[in-house]
Amino acid sequence: MKTIKLFALAIIFSFAVTTQAQTAEEIVANYFENTGGEEAWNKLESLQMNAVVNQGFDIPVTIIQTKDGRQAIKINLQGQEITQLAFDGEVAWVTNFQTQKAEKMDSETIETFKKLAGKAFPSPFLNYKEKGHTIALLGEEIIDGTNTFKVEITMDPIIVDGKEVENKSVYYFEDENFVPIQTASEVTQGPTKGQTAKESFSDYTEVDGLYFPFAITFGGQPVDIKSIEVNPEIDDSVFKMPTQ
Amino acid sequence: MKTKQLLLGLCLATLAIPLQAQEITLKGKELFGDITARQIGPALMSGRIIDMETHPKNAQVIYTGTAGGGVWKSQDGGASYTPIFDDHIQSIGQVAIDPTDPDQTVWVGTGEIWTRNSVSVGDGLYRTKDSGANWEYIKGFENSERISGIEIHPKDGNTVYVGVLGSLWNDSKDRGVYKTIDGGKTWEKILYVNEKTGVADLVMDPTNPNILYASMWEHRRTAWDFNSGGINSGLHKSTDGGKTWQKIHNGFPEGQLGRIGVAVSPSNPKIVYAVIESEKDEDKGLYRSEDGGASWKHTNGDFSLTVRPFYFSRIVVDPKNPDVVVKGGLSGSISRDGGNTFKTLGNMHSDIHDIVFDINNSDVMHVGTDGGVYRSWNGGTTMEIVSNLPLSQFYQISVDNAEPYRIYGGLQDNGSWYGPSSSPGGIEARDWVRVGVGDGFRVLPHPTKEILYSEMQGADNVWRYDMERNYTKNVKPLPAKGSADLRFNWNPPMATSAHQPDRFYMGSQFLHVSEDMGDTWKVISPDLTTNDPSKQKKNSGGLSADNSGAETHTTIFTIAESPVDQKVIWVGTDDGNVQVTKNGGKNWENVVKNISGLPTNTWVYHIEASVHGAGIAYAVFEGHARGDMKPYVYKTTDYGKTWKSIVTDDIPIFARNLQEDYENEDLLFLGTEKGLYITVDGGKKWSHFTNNFPPTAIHFLDLQKKTNDLVAGTHGRGVIIIDDISILRQIKPEIIDKNVHFFPTKTGIMVEEGGFGGNATELEFVGPNPGTSLKIKYYLKKRHTFGKMTLTIEDLEGNEVATLSPGKSKGINIVSWNYTTKAPKLAAAKTFAFGGFTSLRAKAGTYKAILKKGKERYETTFEIKNDPKSFITDAERAEQFTISNQLFDIQEDLAYMVYQINLMTTKATDAIKKDTKATKTAQPLIDELNTLKNTLVVTTGDNYVGTAPPQLREKLSTLYSDVAVNFEAPSAAQKDNIKLLSDRFKTAQTDFEKIKAKQFSKFSKYLEKAGEQTIEFKSKEAFIDLKE
Repeated sequence: MKTIKLFALAIIFSFAVTTQAQTAEEIVANYFENTGGEEAWNKLESLQMNAVVNQGFDIPVTIIQTKDGRQAIKINLQGQEITQLAFDGEVAWVTNFQTQKAEKMDSETIETFKKLAGKAFPSPFLNYKEKGHTIALLGEEIIDGTNTFKVEITMDPIIVDGKEVENKSVYYFEDENFVPIQTASEVTQGPTKGQTAKESFSDYTEVDGLYFPFAITFGGQPVDIKSIEVNPEIDDSVFKMPTQ
Repeated sequence: MKTKQLLLGLCLATLAIPLQAQEITLKGKELFGDITARQIGPALMSGRIIDMETHPKNAQVIYTGTAGGGVWKSQDGGASYTPIFDDHIQSIGQVAIDPTDPDQTVWVGTGEIWTRNSVSVGDGLYRTKDSGANWEYIKGFENSERISGIEIHPKDGNTVYVGVLGSLWNDSKDRGVYKTIDGGKTWEKILYVNEKTGVADLVMDPTNPNILYASMWEHRRTAWDFNSGGINSGLHKSTDGGKTWQKIHNGFPEGQLGRIGVAVSPSNPKIVYAVIESEKDEDKGLYRSEDGGASWKHTNGDFSLTVRPFYFSRIVVDPKNPDVVVKGGLSGSISRDGGNTFKTLGNMHSDIHDIVFDINNSDVMHVGTDGGVYRSWNGGTTMEIVSNLPLSQFYQISVDNAEPYRIYGGLQDNGSWYGPSSSPGGIEARDWVRVGVGDGFRVLPHPTKEILYSEMQGADNVWRYDMERNYTKNVKPLPAKGSADLRFNWNPPMATSAHQPDRFYMGSQFLHVSEDMGDTWKVISPDLTTNDPSKQKKNSGGLSADNSGAETHTTIFTIAESPVDQKVIWVGTDDGNVQVTKNGGKNWENVVKNISGLPTNTWVYHIEASVHGAGIAYAVFEGHARGDMKPYVYKTTDYGKTWKSIVTDDIPIFARNLQEDYENEDLLFLGTEKGLYITVDGGKKWSHFTNNFPPTAIHFLDLQKKTNDLVAGTHGRGVIIIDDISILRQIKPEIIDKNVHFFPTKTGIMVEEGGFGGNATELEFVGPNPGTSLKIKYYLKKRHTFGKMTLTIEDLEGNEVATLSPGKSKGINIVSWNYTTKAPKLAAAKTFAFGGFTSLRAKAGTYKAILKKGKERYETTFEIKNDPKSFITDAERAEQFTISNQLFDIQEDLAYMVYQINLMTTKATDAIKKDTKATKTAQPLIDELNTLKNTLVVTTGDNYVGTAPPQLREKLSTLYSDVAVNFEAPSAAQKDNIKLLSDRFKTAQTDFEKIKAKQFSKFSKYLEKAGEQTIEFKSKEAFIDLKE
């Protein structure tokens, strides 16, 4: 799910020095109302993020996502461009690092991609009711030393290892500006199943009237976003699984 | 956006108003920021388990409630567990899964219910509705102390029954069975006996939620006695959802009863078992009813059924077979004939508290013991331990001065141990060394020798253990002719001296001192306790004798020799005396009378003799063993003449241990029943430290002098370390007032290590190492959320050496730098050259960290040094550095060459496509370039078994990596190889120049003639910077 979230994560807001948000709805409304505005967010069709991940050496990463849920993560390693993960609306696939060939993800994961396609673009909170999500204010909590509103969002359940599991995330909105600075969700599969995966956001910067976090940390791995292109021209072939 | 930004600016300005009156107003996470604790276990001996529960439909999900380590959940059928209750009190009595919402809703009743002397306390009832991610505190059980049963209606999750065992140490009205029908909003007490009698077990008939069984238990512990049993104990049944209750004793033993455990057979609820503690030995044991409790027959009174009822009263019936019954006990036992006969369960840690059967396969069992959780695949015959439950329960810890330093301590029912604070690959089971058996308590390293002292309960043995020779000598103090019998506490105090390395103290009711590591002893005090005979009962236990020595009272509990003046010795007793001598034991004065506000005879748990002055000491008292949960911590600066309380309302519960800082007298650490509290202002305000530090009971704290690591011995979560607390010494109001403040950076040591790590399996706990990275620490007044913030390392000439990812938290941020700079840019090829992912290491020297936040720039200077323990000479090191850099450069030169080759090849190929006339000049160029390129980089194959033979790039990168990760100069073989590959590269350069001069030049002329654009090559620098 991590990769899905990676994609799903664009989020933003602007500043409203609001006093006290009473409800989850108000927090989310503030967050949109004050940030480029819901209308502007709804005009967003696609995004391309150009980032660098450092794992002892810099790895350039390009993340492309569209409103309808298609997405691709490409990395460049030693001059080779590799699609680490992509989803074209029907098929989610990865590149096998040993053979360097494209391989389909398992069918459950593909179903998850299909089911959640576009539901987190650019934020799961945008039109959350229409998307079928529910939200709830769980309280306030100090995160990164600062007070936040803790809002849980519940999305459609997904199937993991043959069983339906809930699909929830907690977003921590910094209380003075309503920007999410952290999310937490339970890992639903793999060796870390049951543990909490955290993502944090900072360095919000305006791009074409919308604010995006330019520094993101996924499970301790920082992603340094160098630039974001709003509604870029996209060659649809980036999403398609190549035939061998 | 302008107006909005203006608003934000105003908001910031408001926050920047100077803080009042030079106070440090920050607390908790706002202050501690990124300072994060490190939980190192150990898990190999795990810790006490109280309750286990299985999901009713999903055999993968199992919950474990522990004595002092919170709630853990398995989602892999018991292979491994994850903690899910780390923000709340860690002592658990009961876990219950809502049968109407078993995936999400779980209730937890806190306060362990197997009531040994050392139990922790609970603080009420909790519920999660999202399978443990978030917990809600359910009001109404604030004073319950111990919750023994939670039964949830199978059709209506809002109807819940809670059994409260209640206070162990005092009378309480908060006992009995409670019921809610509105999901916990309101509660009605539906069964209550008296202030001494609580619910030991509460069970619902699985087929009829109106039928409930509740066993009531009259019991009381004091610090010096335990009583189980009385006329008020009994087994009650309700058939109307708790409206009315009847005692069901038809066939029960006569007279007083003690603890009763009860179990209903899930497959035939008429069959009910009760294990009963009674007056007479002949009628103790297991009773069986076949009519729902209307009548009972005694089926078995063997040892395994009657042993220590207060500790072992859990009976569990196989969900599929009403005649298969398992009973907790010293070893645990199983009956397959309806409770008539029993055999012992397989080998595992002794003291079995709970058992659950797999919901689908009764051959699979999960068993909770004093030493963790065990699984059996064959009906309890053989057992294997769960290896990732770090629940160890330390009574005390200490540290030495080794590098890395070692941590010593004794565990509840798990012996004594020491282990390292750091180990290659992480701290795992193999790193811990056993240095005592039985219950372990205090372990102290000799200050200068490879010797330690350890002990077992009541000082039954006191060992001097030679760590080098693996040799043990029993050096326990014994009574001599004419002396009284010695009374040692269950957890007997020992101490060493900062002045005389061979000096060793032990406390009974007297203070014993040895100047020769325990070979000979001298008593240097009178009886320092109250010697109150009413607190020296010989028989404890009530209906079942329980004379383990655990209740021995009126003993010395803590000893501290002043690190400033060896003649000053402090002694604290479990019955409330604070004794001090200023002349090495010639005269003693009980100075507890000088403390006002302290209830008399409150247990002196710890005295910390200060390094800041011979007359300065701290005393930590705790009265929980008589129901007093308040913290009592006092400081004296005049040898106990006067005392000042240093606790505040910030501390919600009793404390056991205090550690002072060695440099800043105002910096103090307090270990409480609910986690760690820290003050940076001498106790005016305390902050709860919560970053990866669950609110578990802390029994002991120590501060390592070289590393400044705070080491906590917890009673349920093992050893928890906060690395290098020295930054907290520097918290001053003037720093808190700044937007950004760099704390001085400790010199980084590039430790020369290159081992192969550990050997833990996937399912084993491994404690993290502190790491050897440089730590850059700074304070941010506000969380950085908007705009760019960067952190880079530069050398003194201003060259950027590394880019780091800065912390953005309000409060203290800690960023690590592992001394690496950058990796070479490699030539593009078909496959990876893994050596090329290696970064160069920075040279020892002075560097700057530059923090840029918006337009503001902040910097600090620091040093990094080579390993002082190194055997490598400066000349060798310089050679390694130079050659690594040369190899780095060759690889980038090669990359640039291949870049040019690829560009030329592409252009030539395109030209032919455009016009076949180009073939004449383009084709020879392509052919020559391909021939050359095939010797430079791999152009075929994959990254695994289809790999192609390595070419120059691959060989160079492997060689580079070998040299660059090393600390020594390259070996002779490496140097020969470097020469070989460098020569090959030179040849390639020559060949390339020839191609450029001949074929490329011809092709370029063709291009010019044809009016085509010639190739524009990027400069090497521009190529290197290109992020692709």
